[in-house]
Amino acid sequence: MRENGVDLRVFADYDRDVTESVDVAVVGSGPGGAVVAKELVDAGLRVALLEEGPPFTPDEYRVDGGISMARTMREGGLRATVGTVMPTMQAICLGGGSLVNSAICNRTPDFVLESWCERFGLKHTRAADLAPHYDAVGEYLGISQTPENVLGRRNLLFRDGCRALGIDSEPIARNVRGCRGSGECFTGCRSRAKQSMDITYVPDALRGGASVLTSARVEMVRTSGRRATGVAGHIVAPFSGRPSHRFRIDARAVVLAAGCMATPVLLARSGDLANRSGQAGRNLQFHPGVAAMGIFEERVDPQFGATQGYQSKHFLRDGYKLETLWAPPAVLAVRMPGSGHALKQRLAEVPFAAIWDAIGSCNRSVGRVVPRRGSLDPRLDWRLHPEDTPLLAHALHTLAEIFFAAGAKTVMPGVHGIPEELHSLDEARILRTHPIRPGDLVLGGNHAFCTTRMHGDPAQGVVDELGRCHDFDNLYIADSGVFPQCPSVNPMWTVMALARRTAHALAGAH
Amino acid sequence: MWIAIVAVLVGYALVRVFAGYPAAAQPAEALRRRELALVAAVADALFPPGGAVAESGREADVAGYVDRLVAASQPRQRMLMRALFFLFEHATLIFPAAGGPGGLRRFSSLDASQQEAVLERWRTSRLFPRRLVFTSLRALCTLGYFASPSVLRHLRLAPFAIETPVCEADLWYPPIGASRASLRRGRTDLTPASAGVPLALDAPLAPGYAEPQR
Repeated sequence: MRENGVDLRVFADYDRDVTESVDVAVVGSGPGGAVVAKELVDAGLRVALLEEGPPFTPDEYRVDGGISMARTMREGGLRATVGTVMPTMQAICLGGGSLVNSAICNRTPDFVLESWCERFGLKHTRAADLAPHYDAVGEYLGISQTPENVLGRRNLLFRDGCRALGIDSEPIARNVRGCRGSGECFTGCRSRAKQSMDITYVPDALRGGASVLTSARVEMVRTSGRRATGVAGHIVAPFSGRPSHRFRIDARAVVLAAGCMATPVLLARSGDLANRSGQAGRNLQFHPGVAAMGIFEERVDPQFGATQGYQSKHFLRDGYKLETLWAPPAVLAVRMPGSGHALKQRLAEVPFAAIWDAIGSCNRSVGRVVPRRGSLDPRLDWRLHPEDTPLLAHALHTLAEIFFAAGAKTVMPGVHGIPEELHSLDEARILRTHPIRPGDLVLGGNHAFCTTRMHGDPAQGVVDELGRCHDFDNLYIADSGVFPQCPSVNPMWTVMALARRTAHALAGAH
Repeated sequence: MWIAIVAVLVGYALVRVFAGYPAAAQPAEALRRRELALVAAVADALFPPGGAVAESGREADVAGYVDRLVAASQPRQRMLMRALFFLFEHATLIFPAAGGPGGLRRFSSLDASQQEAVLERWRTSRLFPRRLVFTSLRALCTLGYFASPSVLRHLRLAPFAIETPVCEADLWYPPIGASRASLRRGRTDLTPASAGVPLALDAPLAPGYAEPQR
């Protein structure tokens, strides 16, 4: 199995069932699992990192949005919540979501962490407690603000609009080194500038002696009394998921970092594990997002520039965050109004367009994850709370204000029942006055949380502050499911900081 | 007598629903004739010939793209997409398109103005599920339309050519489907990391997106 001195296995390498014994089995190679694996290896533990997807090199990236999603996302990128229908995605590849996200790194605001501690019985999850972990991850990944020379006009217009209105804004900090402004974060960085887990933490874990098993679909956590004894599942073919060989990893400790939509399913399929509180799979929250498109008189050339290079946290306490956005043109064009020649006319305006979005801290909008019958995919029941709908409409109105302040001639808010094009602030006021229902909004929600939430009281949460399941001595969770509430900002850096803390606790305990 | 009448009616219904589709110009990977016809019709109604972007949905081979996308999808998603196509193609047999008796035909058999009117009715419906069906179908067709290099070139949205650095992990990760033993790269193939030089707006386009040489 060792080629080039590292123990990495891909689908074509498996020629028999696999049975191994390690100190720690880590399930999932995204920002949570990859950090845990590397930190544990550094602590001298023998680690097996299991990932269901394959490794992707730039030769395997597809700049076409649809094909890229079909290859890198679970359910081909067509996953959606039921209740309030909202598309949501989860990556299936080595490095997880870090391969196909826009690399945004934000620390969870102090006031949010304070609120978590007060409301969820936590004692050591304040900003000062997490700072060493944020700092270490930030230094390792080179997290820094997007330099001005790769922002592009799309991002700079947002800055200008915010400045004109006196709204605080800033270049987004990202885990990127050497960005060229290709705007291709969502389909994989061909410049190899994004410091995704597959080229950072995972290689370091490999160098340190970890075994990395790709195409390994964990189907069960094995337990004995209060102890997890390992994991088991099937080797599965990339893309088709066709099972071939079986595997079993015996371990002294298990860390689940399969993502907040998959970890509860795995717990449920393993015999409703870690659920004496009844909270596993519950409390599902998102940052539901809405976006608006502004058309300017002069070319914006939105294809150039950091995918998401500027943001405003000015309204965090009001419940929303604003940011710039770019995605494969096909994905953005999906939200354009009209059909026929009218649609084509609008498509022709894309070179003059900027797209900005808002994500909401919708703590009232909760749901749950349940296993779908006969599948390891989740069913996501979730509803946008009626009181959160005006919040998102309000955020759209603020985006419209920024667009007009930046010089846009037209804003397309993408809300059913509201004019498709708004030409002035006066017209945009309808976003504040018109009764908007959840189904009127075009939502997207790619940050998901809370399905295995941490809580100081074992009766009300699944894990403790260090990520250890209350019901087990050696079963840990290290993904965004442990957040007690939505963090109000993009979660990746916090996932990594919490994962690092969990790894250190685990290494100390075992 | 009644049995014969029912049989004739059922036969007529089956013909109206399933028969009479043209043969596909190229062999399809996943879609059936009727599904290809529906997607091509929707694509042309969404992106008719001429106008601000010259290429039509049919010229952009949207149906071929959707066929490849469906083939690349997992069984459950494939089934859902097929159900979507079936629903949209035959909904006009229950809710006819405007324009009298001629509107009581499959979507792909309607004339262009009727098709556009039907799309608009779904798009602006007061019922969320109808709008959702329309949005889903339009999303698939839009993905296909924007997969066309000439459409992207016209809009100046085609991806740039990028010289991709080779990092150490690239020496370890084989092409998907290949074994690690097949890897031929060594440390001498490593190249310097990106220096962060911004791409120029007139930079060469990625292979496959550049204007074909005449």
